[in-house]
Amino acid sequence: MKKVVLVVLAGLVAAVVVLGLMLVSTYNGFVGSAQEVDKQWAQVETVYQRRADLIPNLVKTVEGAANFEKSALLEVTQARAAVGQTQINSGQAPTAPEQLEKFQKAQDNLSSALSRLLVVVERYPDLKANSGFLQLQAQLEGTENRISVERNRFNEVVQKYNTRVQRFPGVLLAGLFHFQPRPYFKAAAGSETAPKVEFNFGNQKAAPAK
Amino acid sequence: MAFAPFETFAKEVIPPVPPRYFNDYAGVVSAATVAELNSRLEDFEKKTSSQIVVAIYSKMESDSSIDDYTVRVAQAWKVGQKEKRNGAILFMFIADRKMFLQVGYGLEGAIPDATAKQITEFEIKPRVRNGDYDGGLRAGVNAILQAAQGEYKGTGRTVAQRVQARRGNNVGAIFVVLIFILIIASMSRRKRGRRGGRMYRSSGWGTGGGWGGWGGGWTGGGGSWGGGGGSSGGGSFSSGGGDFGGGGAGSSW
Repeated sequence: MKKVVLVVLAGLVAAVVVLGLMLVSTYNGFVGSAQEVDKQWAQVETVYQRRADLIPNLVKTVEGAANFEKSALLEVTQARAAVGQTQINSGQAPTAPEQLEKFQKAQDNLSSALSRLLVVVERYPDLKANSGFLQLQAQLEGTENRISVERNRFNEVVQKYNTRVQRFPGVLLAGLFHFQPRPYFKAAAGSETAPKVEFNFGNQKAAPAK
Repeated sequence: MAFAPFETFAKEVIPPVPPRYFNDYAGVVSAATVAELNSRLEDFEKKTSSQIVVAIYSKMESDSSIDDYTVRVAQAWKVGQKEKRNGAILFMFIADRKMFLQVGYGLEGAIPDATAKQITEFEIKPRVRNGDYDGGLRAGVNAILQAAQGEYKGTGRTVAQRVQARRGNNVGAIFVVLIFILIIASMSRRKRGRRGGRMYRSSGWGTGGGWGGWGGGWTGGGGSWGGGGGSSGGGSFSSGGGDFGGGGAGSSW
């Protein structure tokens, strides 16, 4: 009789230890995954900031062109200012979907303002031939590429994190320790038709203006 | 461009890591130029540790845009050293008349996008447009090396050589272990003599499993060793674990 009690007790202790170990490793998994998300968010912020930093230079260069249409410039400047107002608490990825949505909306507005500006530039051959402007264009184009890369990677790590947090049995623990699913970057409404920032460097086939 | 998290790319092929620095899969560059540029790029890794790779394909096997596709290929290949992330890859797709210079994080300072654009647009494009692939690629590689020069210091050895040396060491170590096991086995056989024949046999089977493992490792090592030996004369390439974030620029011609 005593023996049976002992065996049962030992079994219980073993089960508790195993459960505890599982708990610890799941929890640590959450923490690591969440850190990945925040790290990737920092990358996203960096590339967006990089674009924002290019804009004053772009505006200055374009302004210099003879009687340049001011409306396109104004739009870019305003969109950039709006972006500045949607800064998310730095160093941490957004937790609320609305927060990311707002951020993304402002950034996407800036993207379209920029691409409209570049369409306008097509009508100014002097500007297009300006080496300073060419450099800026290359930098802007590269920044757009980086934005797309980092955004895609952000979505990938968020996906990993969310799977971890939402899958059974992790979901029980996630609720207990307040690991909420994180929002993704969404394909903007009508993104298929949204103008992609595309640049043309005197490619005769595509640029009849030349 | 869509940013859906579960985006799939229906018709896309990520090619394997190329075996050399200069890889002309489309056959548009003369053998002499291929050999010369390959050895220059190998020397460049020895001197600066930066890995510059050229990959020329006849067609781009993706429905995506070239910048998007090539950054994924670059990330899969991991060209550049792991810590310095100093890799760059010049992709060319002949039938698409497109090229893109992907620059790893660690070389973004030395080859900013404007410089990358300068290289593809004004060094390579005008020549390639006239069908002068040799001249275009020579000029392009020249310009890339010039830009990337002085950014990092090399160790005098390439990743491929290090990998090869490590394999050689492995083969050596495995030899030593093998001989050790043989000696032990023959000693224990002598000890047990004939009487333990059956016992020996069964325990022999036990270690036989381990032996199989070693044997497998050894053949593997030997095989790749041979491969390394075969290509050691001509600048074979191994990537060091670099990282790409979409830096660089491209042109179409």
